[in-house]
Amino acid sequence: MLAYLLRRLAFGAVTVVGVLLLLFALFFLVATPDDVARKALGEKAMPEAIAQWKTNHGYDKPRLWNAAAPFDTMLAEHLRRMLTFDFGRSDADDTPIVERLREGVWPSLTLTVPLFVLGLVCAVALALLVAYRRDSALDRATQVACVVLMSVPILLWIVGGQYLLGKMLRWFPISGFDPAPAVVLRFLAMPVLIGVLAHLGQEVRYYRTVFLEERNRDYVRTAYAKGCSPSQVMRRHVLRNALIPILTNVVIEIPFLFTGSILLESFFGIPGLGTMTVDAINGNDFATLRVMVFLGALLFIAGQVATDLAYAAADPRVRLE
Amino acid sequence: MIGRTRATRPLAPATARAAARVGAVAALLVTGLGACTNNPYPDADAAAKILYLSYPVAPKTLDPQVAYSTVDHVVTGAVFDTLLEYHYLDRPYRLIPALAEALPRPEPRADGHVTYRFHLRDGALYQDDPCFARGGAGRTTRAVEAADVAFALARIADPQVGSPVIDTFARVTGLRDFSTRLAAARADAAVAALPAHEQYARAGGIAGVRVLDARTLEVELDAPYPQILFWFAMPFTAPLPWEAVATYDGRDGRDRLADHPVGAGPFALARYDRQARIVLSRNPNWYGVRHPEWRAPGAVFPAPGARDDADGMLRAAAGQPLPFLERIEMRREPEAVPAFIKFMQGYYDTSPIIRESFDQVVQRGALTAEAAARGLRLETAVMAGVYYVGFNMDDTVVGAAAGERGRALRQAMSLAVDATEFLRLFNNGLGIPAQSPLPPGIFGYAATYRNPWRQPDLTRAAARLAEAGYPGGIDPATGKALRISFDVNNTAARALLQFQFLVETWKGLGLDVEIAATDYNQFQDKVRRGAYQLFQWGWIGDYPDPENFLFLLYGPMGRAHSGGPNTANFADPAYDALFEQMRALENSPQRARVIDAMRAILERERPWIELFHPEDYALHHGWLANVVPTSMSLPTMKYWDLDPARRAERRRAWNRPFPLR
Amino acid sequence: MIESHHLANAAVAALAALCGVTAWRGRARLAALWTRRPLAMLAVGLYLLVGALDSITWVGGSRGTAPTDLVALQEPRSVIDRLFPPDFRERSYSAPLAAVEFYDGGALRFPGRHLLGTDILGRDVLLQGLKGVRVALLIGGVASLIVIPLALAAGMGAGYFGRRVDDAVFFLISTLSSIPTLLLLIALVMVLGRGTLQVCVALGITSWVGFARIIRGETLKLRELDYVAAARALGASDWRILRRHILPNLTHLVVITFVLLFSRLVLSESILSWLGLGVDGSWGQMIDQARDELARDPIIWWTLATAAAALFGLILAVNLIGDALRDQLDPRTTR
Repeated sequence: MLAYLLRRLAFGAVTVVGVLLLLFALFFLVATPDDVARKALGEKAMPEAIAQWKTNHGYDKPRLWNAAAPFDTMLAEHLRRMLTFDFGRSDADDTPIVERLREGVWPSLTLTVPLFVLGLVCAVALALLVAYRRDSALDRATQVACVVLMSVPILLWIVGGQYLLGKMLRWFPISGFDPAPAVVLRFLAMPVLIGVLAHLGQEVRYYRTVFLEERNRDYVRTAYAKGCSPSQVMRRHVLRNALIPILTNVVIEIPFLFTGSILLESFFGIPGLGTMTVDAINGNDFATLRVMVFLGALLFIAGQVATDLAYAAADPRVRLE
Repeated sequence: MIGRTRATRPLAPATARAAARVGAVAALLVTGLGACTNNPYPDADAAAKILYLSYPVAPKTLDPQVAYSTVDHVVTGAVFDTLLEYHYLDRPYRLIPALAEALPRPEPRADGHVTYRFHLRDGALYQDDPCFARGGAGRTTRAVEAADVAFALARIADPQVGSPVIDTFARVTGLRDFSTRLAAARADAAVAALPAHEQYARAGGIAGVRVLDARTLEVELDAPYPQILFWFAMPFTAPLPWEAVATYDGRDGRDRLADHPVGAGPFALARYDRQARIVLSRNPNWYGVRHPEWRAPGAVFPAPGARDDADGMLRAAAGQPLPFLERIEMRREPEAVPAFIKFMQGYYDTSPIIRESFDQVVQRGALTAEAAARGLRLETAVMAGVYYVGFNMDDTVVGAAAGERGRALRQAMSLAVDATEFLRLFNNGLGIPAQSPLPPGIFGYAATYRNPWRQPDLTRAAARLAEAGYPGGIDPATGKALRISFDVNNTAARALLQFQFLVETWKGLGLDVEIAATDYNQFQDKVRRGAYQLFQWGWIGDYPDPENFLFLLYGPMGRAHSGGPNTANFADPAYDALFEQMRALENSPQRARVIDAMRAILERERPWIELFHPEDYALHHGWLANVVPTSMSLPTMKYWDLDPARRAERRRAWNRPFPLR
Repeated sequence: MIESHHLANAAVAALAALCGVTAWRGRARLAALWTRRPLAMLAVGLYLLVGALDSITWVGGSRGTAPTDLVALQEPRSVIDRLFPPDFRERSYSAPLAAVEFYDGGALRFPGRHLLGTDILGRDVLLQGLKGVRVALLIGGVASLIVIPLALAAGMGAGYFGRRVDDAVFFLISTLSSIPTLLLLIALVMVLGRGTLQVCVALGITSWVGFARIIRGETLKLRELDYVAAARALGASDWRILRRHILPNLTHLVVITFVLLFSRLVLSESILSWLGLGVDGSWGQMIDQARDELARDPIIWWTLATAAAALFGLILAVNLIGDALRDQLDPRTTR
């Protein structure tokens, strides 16, 4: 077990360095230091101001190789700062990035966690129900409904939902966010609802397949022969054994709960980490972007390890080494 | 087999339980609907004079020497009072004294330098802030001094601050020397550890900025530059207390100055969650609130003068002390459509009209009956800006290098574009087709001038194109339609539609104009390499002087030449000479003649196809009073007033949740 | 002189021939699908037909001497284009089958002939919708075709060869998954340029990970099968085993994934359009241009409805067929 963990973590470290290198290459394909400066200072900034800004922020160094001082390059600086968790300040407005992270985590979580939990519960419950009543009218209708739900582009879900619930029925504010506990639910109702509906189709189908697979096993037949009721069979045998693939699906998602949902946050005006990432990409804010990607990579590795551990815990046949 | 049989028998008790559960949930939902509301604000705020606004992008910085975007200025304009400001109602725009007692006159010197002397008001205080405890325990404020303005100007010169307007202020005598001395002084670690104001003192200060006494400041320029006074109406030159800069350095958990502005304006920043919410509250220390007896021009609502005031609203407010509002609440709205819908629901007091909802609100230049019944008010005024399509004059096909042939081609293309139709399609008709770079309201604009190459006429355009050597659009060298690249920097669907309209127009001449759409960065790259032929741009003026527009075609400002904003790379020696002449003149008939001559050159050479001057508008609810549209992002919220009771009642009426109609 | 549209026509002909051959070889399967989901098969067939017709283009062949027509006639026009007059534009919006403009009430150039109305630039919405079919088929098809070999190579390699290769593939997957897809897409579009094929490549590169994981899982299982072990014992080379034993058993997965990926990728393109990175003429771009029209009053619904209906129709049909296919092919979900 220990050897496994060590191997995985070492591997993870190599991956993270790879991610940082790839990010550096990608970003400076997309934007030059001049672009970063111009986005920060505004279009009307004169060349002198741009040059000064680059000096102030360390963008006037050579990118990859500096003959005079091999470690005084932008790449070296980039790697050093990320690996020592020295996040620094945003390129767009010089805010300390740690502060921005702290501000953005809570709004993201208030959206993604309810979305995730509600989505999971609804999908599993529905899948269990139709797996139990396989090939009934309900099952067939649900299958078609799922395909229909899946076939609508998510943009239409969002725009249609905002139009219907916010404008025509006036049940919820169309967008915005206020973390005060008394009113926060008002703002989350619509994005959570739409988010759940948009993914319900494919989730139910996936879980249904999983449950059906279990249902065809021999021990289920034995259970029925023993005299268990169908609901008992589903709950006590099928669900428990189907936990493994479900767990794999679920645990891998947990790290991404922190990074936020880009589409939903953008359309519903929720100032979370997803918006922060998009703003960083559009605003050529390299300092913020690399922190987001770095943390994303760490979370991803953590998620992988957690999945494997959970898998081992749930299925006694699996051994990690 | 066994399982199947069991599955077909209905589970009566389970179903009944399930039905009961569903029923309970439904009942909860229905009662819950009563508590449903789409109001995003706390109910307690309904009775107060709070203004609600939306903003699409978060401010970048609130450091007054750095902030240069519109959103930044909404906040800095309210928090920082400047020495001068614009009269709210009079047009053309004119300056009035604010923190200064009077408008200074330029005093020429023997060596060609010019000085301006400002006298500050005695008794103006800063907002309350803990940073003033540096000057004595328990102190929360102090008087505004001339030294604070000098400090602001020194910060503009400070390379570490990175002010974007340092080039403009380089005209101040000794500013550049000061920058160099400051950088040199900082080489000494002991000096670099000092707070900013002491560093500036060590470096000796700016030679051309002299503090004569606590309230008097003298500024010296190397050469006459009448437009400098406009810069004293912008937050760049607002007095800034050294205590704030010394305290808010972002270390040890303290705020940074960019997030914690301390000014002497009518409002103070009360809350700043940049990505979501900004709150400004009335500043009780503002000179207009503390000394209403001064009847200072910047603290009293002006008389309507020549402005149309049909309903007497402006006259009723005239002479009243400012500000009227208690608080300003701003919310971030990244998407335009939801923001506008919330405005129509009464949750924002003013809003830009988005193109999609325009017909809902405006028809044939006036409010629709439905909008008027809701109490909406609409005011339009032309903005000091210009949108245009430019030619890269360095190009060999469309530019100056092609000589007479290129000129005829540009003239033909200019003759084909119908700006009125463009505005009808994309701006709902708002805007004025432009005849020259100068917009209305700027000295040198001639309302009767008609640019012969901007009166759309496809037949004449086709004839001119034939004269250029491209009959029917065919390039004789290839035998096919002449191909021109239209390099645009916006890939959004909405923008592409506008570019396609122009492409279709030129297709009518037989030209094959191809859109090469890239994002902003790649466009800048193309411009840097000179790899572009046609481009589209817009410019909104910083201050109401023709120099701020005509400099966009001044040779030394050329993009290829010096990286300046003259992206057309227009370099005509006659025009450049006239520009240098015009720049130093005060508004006079002679200046008008020079501008006319410059316009004649532009008319002939056609480096731009001028599209339109954008029209600004103020669309606001009936409970918001005293709104007058202004351009150049001027601070105007201190003039606004509102009726909270009426607003609360209208909101309730417009927003009953669906079943409870 | 060989022009690009000649090459495109040749490619279409070749593709059609390939499809014909494949359809003939799998005609039993197709017949079974037809029995189960006749409507969906018919719908997909129609979409394919429209897409094919829109891909066959040639220059010239129309009358008219107006300058607009001259420029237009220099461009290759497809069969679908030729169903409509060459310059079928109005000034601006008009409702389906209307005789006057929508907002101003001015007379139209082709009153009553715009079956689904016109958009803001006056272009016929039905024509735009039809032309979007080819774009959608291209995006879904080409991107899926890029995903499959990538995922197969990575997945089979990781599953079959184990340790080192598995680690390397896992490293690649982790790295790619950690970079925000948005950034990856922007960077790829930037390097490759904006165009249908480039967007397909970008979409392909960002979508192969999930499929690779599934392939890896399957390969792991297949590797342990008796006859594979026997083949190895007999001295067959790895390459031979992969080609003759493992790959054929993955075919059903490939087919199912192709069909399901297709719909997912076409839907992803609409998000790309929202970001400004989409393909010109796609339904995603139509939706993006039209979504703000919902807020207009009176509302303009026909552009959004056409694009949404066309997109929904194709995706739904493909998904239904994919489901039916999976029921047939996947041994796990059969009774």
